[in-house]
Amino acid sequence: MDGAAGQSWAPWSGEQIRFTTAGSVDDGKSTLIGRLLLDADALRRDQAATLGEGDDLDLAALTDGLEAEQAQGITIDVAYRYFATRAASFVIADAPGHEQYTRNMVTAASTSDVAVLVIDASRFEGELKPQTRRHAAIATLMGLNVIVAVNKMDLTGWSEERFEDIRAAFRDAAGVLGLSHVSFVPISAKNGDNVVRRGNPPWWAGPTLIELLETVRPSRARADGALRLPVQTILRDGETRIYAGRVESGAVRAGDSVSVGIGVASRVTAVLKSGRPVTSAEVGASVGLQLADDRDLAIGDVIADAEVRYTREVVADLCWLDGHAWTVGRRYQLRQGSLETQALIAQVQFVRDISDFSERESADLQVNDIARVRVTTREPILADLYSENPATGAFVLFDPDSNQTCAAGMIRETRQ
Amino acid sequence: MRAAYKYDDAVSEGATEAVAQASRLDRLEAEAVYILRELVVFERPALMFSGGKDSAVLLDLALRAFAPQRPPFVLLHIDTGHNYADVIDYRDQRARDTGLELIVRKVEDSIARGSVQLANGASRNAAQAVTLLEAQQELRFDALIGGARRDEDKARAKERVFSHRDAFGSWRPRAQRPELWGLYNRRIAPGEHMRVFPLSNWTEADVWAYIAREDIPLPSLYYTHKRDVVRRDGLLFPVTPITPAGEGDMVECLNVRFRTVGDISCTCPVESFAADAEQVLLETITATASERGATRMDDRVNRAAMERRKLEGYF
Repeated sequence: MDGAAGQSWAPWSGEQIRFTTAGSVDDGKSTLIGRLLLDADALRRDQAATLGEGDDLDLAALTDGLEAEQAQGITIDVAYRYFATRAASFVIADAPGHEQYTRNMVTAASTSDVAVLVIDASRFEGELKPQTRRHAAIATLMGLNVIVAVNKMDLTGWSEERFEDIRAAFRDAAGVLGLSHVSFVPISAKNGDNVVRRGNPPWWAGPTLIELLETVRPSRARADGALRLPVQTILRDGETRIYAGRVESGAVRAGDSVSVGIGVASRVTAVLKSGRPVTSAEVGASVGLQLADDRDLAIGDVIADAEVRYTREVVADLCWLDGHAWTVGRRYQLRQGSLETQALIAQVQFVRDISDFSERESADLQVNDIARVRVTTREPILADLYSENPATGAFVLFDPDSNQTCAAGMIRETRQ
Repeated sequence: MRAAYKYDDAVSEGATEAVAQASRLDRLEAEAVYILRELVVFERPALMFSGGKDSAVLLDLALRAFAPQRPPFVLLHIDTGHNYADVIDYRDQRARDTGLELIVRKVEDSIARGSVQLANGASRNAAQAVTLLEAQQELRFDALIGGARRDEDKARAKERVFSHRDAFGSWRPRAQRPELWGLYNRRIAPGEHMRVFPLSNWTEADVWAYIAREDIPLPSLYYTHKRDVVRRDGLLFPVTPITPAGEGDMVECLNVRFRTVGDISCTCPVESFAADAEQVLLETITATASERGATRMDDRVNRAAMERRKLEGYF
């Protein structure tokens, strides 16, 4: 194929970057997603035709989902969208802005590399809306970097002063939360300025939204972290066992000394991918490992670096996701990595009001509550902190009777 | 110009540029393998294998996930009876090559039983849902693995990777379980089952790029060939015994390929000279009509057509 055709390969050759979007119903978030898809040429003729034209152009129509939601006029669940530019491809996990849906943003954020928060500049009156504070708090909780898209700048006459006021207000809030990585961009989603195309205003020399997204590091998983490979299944090649799983952090190569369960040392003799030996595997790779001695590992065990620690008690931030409130004394099923074990919420230390990050005492946990809790487990789990190791510092709780996924947890402290 | 960057090469030393080039497909591949390995906790999982390109990729990934062993799945095809012979031959050949048991259940039999009643001339495509659920109950499958992608359709955009189905087999969008990190919820009650979609985060272009990179065989219908067609409503309708030309139709013989190879009565080809996966990929990247919009007649009936079919238990 010739060189010109070769260029067309670019849209799929870059990284895949996953991001979540948050904003209230009126901030123009749906319009922004429509604009990203339209200007990145992710829409084909038949999809673009459903948007209308000129003054009737309804970019938000694209992200309306199910019939029932359209009737209600709001998005109620997480939806995923796909588009690509020359530099990268993108997955948008579109989280709804309605305040009662904290659980949806937490869900969307859990699989995202970065969060885009949309703020309506035209109705900014010196203070961030509670909803914006909430979104910033959830992004902080989930360990995401944030891009603030200051939208509807056209309605302010592209007021630099307004943009700076919003930036200052958000920075104050971020300071309180401890959110360190924040970028800002002034945009008009309706007109397309600084979304994919460069546009107004003349005082803005910074990147467009898409340029900011393209430079996101593609994964929160860390290659320089400690090795964690939760065993998903055990394969056999004749007499030899192969422990199959995904490298959730760190890297592994043949010859590495590892720990395979609590206090048991071993050595990796082969790293296999698709059944064939490779020299090493980095974070994110699904592989199989052979070990020097015939260790009897089971599903749920973790192949880790030698310094790994285990515990039966952790302190965690917990987002309650289920419509059924927490029942005191009830045993839930906890999943961390590939391990499932019984767990008890031994204590609710406080529930956080995520609009101002204040703490209040509470004896129960309701849907959308975010609480600091002490959790004890039947079997030992990895003593990994979410801030250091997001993949294995996270856990979920299942209700053993309804089978619902009822909570998402992030480990903050561990006890021996 | 074949992308020669196999993951094996990319992870070895001194291949940093290859890592950057291959990273997107590698992330998707590793994720799909991870999801497929999650299925080991199910007792009777089946991989839905139609011979279409998405299911071909899915089968290839399943072989990788469990190598050197065979994947712990049977293959299941819900046959509308309106498939191209080329696709059926391919399906049978892949089953033989992989040594996996192939189970076929026919919409025809559901019609004979009376559980499917079609209006005169209606497509059998939607009726697959009934036959699929009958097969699921008959064979007590507790997980059905499908090649559906979220980019295909609005209703699919909200689908989970592990999508819980109640005892009636229906999808309840309001009662979906939150799905966080890769910590999938695989729990089901007796009589219920799980639909599992390892290709959720792939786009059509990703699928073609992967087919090109890994040299995955496909039915020949996916590549350019001469075929008698009739132009109608901006679509090309294939002239077949099931879909004969009408009176006054002008039959043309054009170079075409199929973008999906579903039921003959509702799948249209597009004009193309693309003879291999790389050429199809180039066309896909520059395509002007989304996959389903261009070629699936049954989705055009209503914007919410797919959503309705999903509620009824369609893939």
